[in-house]
Amino acid sequence: MKSSARLSAAALGAAALLTATACSSSSSPGTSSGPVTVTVMTWETPQTNALIDQALANFHEPNITVKRLDTPSGNYGDKLSSLTQARKLPDLFWCGNDTEQQYGSEGLLTDWSSRLSGTGAFASGSFVPSAMQNWKTADGKIGGVPSLMNTYGVWYDVDAFKAAGLPLPAAGWTWDDMFHDATALAHRGGASYGLVADNMTGKDGPFTMSTYSVSAGGAPFTDSANKPTQVTADATYTAGVGKLAAAIQSGAVAPPGYDSSNTQSTFAAGSLPMLFGGQWLAAGFLTDKPKIHYGFAPMPQQTAPATLYDAVGICTPSYTQNTDATFKVLQYLDSTVWTKVLPSSPVAPPAYVAAQSSYFDALTSAKLDTVANTVRTELADTNTVGVRFTTPWASQADDLITAYWTDILQGKKPLSDLQTMTGKINDVIKSNG
Amino acid sequence: MRHGELTEQRWKRYRTTIRNDRNFPQVDFLEGVLPGAGQEQVNAMTISSHPEAELPPPSASAPLSRRRLGPRLPRRRADADTAAAYAFLAPAILGFGVFVVFPLIRSGYFALTRYNGLTPPRFVGFDNFRQMFETDPSFWPSVRATVELVVLYVPLSLVLGLALAVFCNQRLRGVRLVRTLCYLPVVLPVVATITLWKFVFDPQVGLANQVLRWLHLPTGMWLSSSSTAMPSIVIVMLWSVGSTMIIFLAALQAVPTELYEAARIDGAGNAAVFFRITLPLISPIMLLQVVLQLTTALQTFNQPKILSAGGSGGPGFSTDTLMLSVYNHGFPTLGGEPRLGYASAQTWVLFLAIVVVVAATARFSSIWTFHDQHS
Repeated sequence: MKSSARLSAAALGAAALLTATACSSSSSPGTSSGPVTVTVMTWETPQTNALIDQALANFHEPNITVKRLDTPSGNYGDKLSSLTQARKLPDLFWCGNDTEQQYGSEGLLTDWSSRLSGTGAFASGSFVPSAMQNWKTADGKIGGVPSLMNTYGVWYDVDAFKAAGLPLPAAGWTWDDMFHDATALAHRGGASYGLVADNMTGKDGPFTMSTYSVSAGGAPFTDSANKPTQVTADATYTAGVGKLAAAIQSGAVAPPGYDSSNTQSTFAAGSLPMLFGGQWLAAGFLTDKPKIHYGFAPMPQQTAPATLYDAVGICTPSYTQNTDATFKVLQYLDSTVWTKVLPSSPVAPPAYVAAQSSYFDALTSAKLDTVANTVRTELADTNTVGVRFTTPWASQADDLITAYWTDILQGKKPLSDLQTMTGKINDVIKSNG
Repeated sequence: MRHGELTEQRWKRYRTTIRNDRNFPQVDFLEGVLPGAGQEQVNAMTISSHPEAELPPPSASAPLSRRRLGPRLPRRRADADTAAAYAFLAPAILGFGVFVVFPLIRSGYFALTRYNGLTPPRFVGFDNFRQMFETDPSFWPSVRATVELVVLYVPLSLVLGLALAVFCNQRLRGVRLVRTLCYLPVVLPVVATITLWKFVFDPQVGLANQVLRWLHLPTGMWLSSSSTAMPSIVIVMLWSVGSTMIIFLAALQAVPTELYEAARIDGAGNAAVFFRITLPLISPIMLLQVVLQLTTALQTFNQPKILSAGGSGGPGFSTDTLMLSVYNHGFPTLGGEPRLGYASAQTWVLFLAIVVVVAATARFSSIWTFHDQHS
């Protein structure tokens, strides 16, 4: 009797748990007249999450409660996979362009294209054009809304440049200038290299070097990062890769495999004159307050500016219970929340143009003028190249890049092997339709 | 007299003990087993793990009820015992079934599918294996990295572990402290220590290069160079050689001291004692260690995952061991699509490789392993 009572209690408890986890949102899809809870999951730091919570506390919409799932940001990709398989994704979750494209092509995301059409205050036209264009899937759906843009450039140590008698990098500086400066700054003042550029020497390298080719009038590495039909390495592209390989082999640029996890602190300590990276490092520098004077220069160019495109956003699973409420929260997150969060932590410019002023104002008040100017320049650039493939077969292409790119840059394979690499990636593209 | 034979005195004592034991079933089985057995028969009986296999056949003249081997229990009690045994075994069998057999079978199925964990798996036959052996640019470099790790790590861990064990087996002052210090890295949290090594091997500000600079020796790129990354990982793995040492130490302490004394009386030197007595007598433990270290090396994951940039097994594929390759294909970084079918196929290849290597080691071990079959 006693054991059967325990069993009944356990069964009731399990049922209650399942009910609680399965019905976090409202019970009816589309619209609901009753109270609704919209769940949100981010990959942000605890500090940024606290700012987001503060901003969400001001979200006042009848019958809508926003609940952020408090989960550490580590292994975010694994969590997404697990939640996807269990069909337990929250109503709104942070996602990259690649995740949005992959999940969208599998029909796993809610399509917001109809809600973003038109000329309203929160429509496609309210976002940075390249962002919205890249977030559309092949069949015109929009599985998520871009939230923050990433721009790339070169962080430089002002003191090191002055000590070497070099002009400071600024908009319009060339790739040749960059390699020249790296050579001049290497092995000076405790620095082993003049430049650490993981984005050029790692798996994203072929895409970063594509900006050299586009800038010099050559063909991009790929015709599209989302829906590629082919990759190429023409003479201009090959020349750019040759310059990078020469800089690596001379010791001016850190070689492939150089662990970039400590480079931010190395740069802040004055032991690295140039660091290729994104604008998001500014938020860390504002907190850590490095003793060096530093600046942020745009991507180098040859004859015309060209830059990398990269954006992150917010996605919604196809089985979200109340799309109306979810869209309202999404709209609030993508616009108002950033205006509250970015002044304290200016990590990236919002893709929603109307919210960008909060980011730039924060940079200006922190006296990070070079960062603000570079980000503006990069966002205005119309020659953009995707930062990496966003396709489901991207990892197969990555393996081919690893097999060839590293050895080519280190001189273990000839530059002509770029053709072999692109040929094999084209085979992958063809085999995946 | 063969080892394990019963003397008359021991046999009587054994018989008396059983008869005096109130808990032992007082069936007259001893007479039943050995009806009128002479002392020769008793002396010839050898204790083994399967005593009934070596018992003499029961006498034909003995009543049927007295021919049973072992104690005759009531059927009801025997059934209850069997049920209890299965009840005790059930959790283990269930756990083994759920966590080993089922995943094994399921991974075998996934190995024949294209499966990303997001949509249902699609059967593709042996495509994953074909792709692995023919077109995947990462597979053969992964095999090469794994073999390199095995070749470097296994002999070094055995030699170093044995050397430390021999040292710690000496009667020296402070040897207990040395023993503790050698074993300490094994009990420290693995991820924390490996992460510390990452800082040690930093080419620019790491301790390793600082020490080399102080000694006016050339510095290295350590984990940042494809030629030195794997040796660097082996160094980190050898940091935990205390686990090998402790097993060797137990083996060394089990070697009878009278053999050493006899060898010394015969004039044997240190080298002769080590190679002619110590090494042969601990060779079964050496076999165990070889198998353990081979398995450890073939399944290495933590060190390259934590030490290589981004956990990708770089530079290039230089530290992309098979286990890491399986993980990275199954659980790629954010934005990458999981290739669980392909990773399952790789897992099966790794599993079969481990089985073959361990089986071959065991098969050929008789050449160099000492067996104490006759004493």
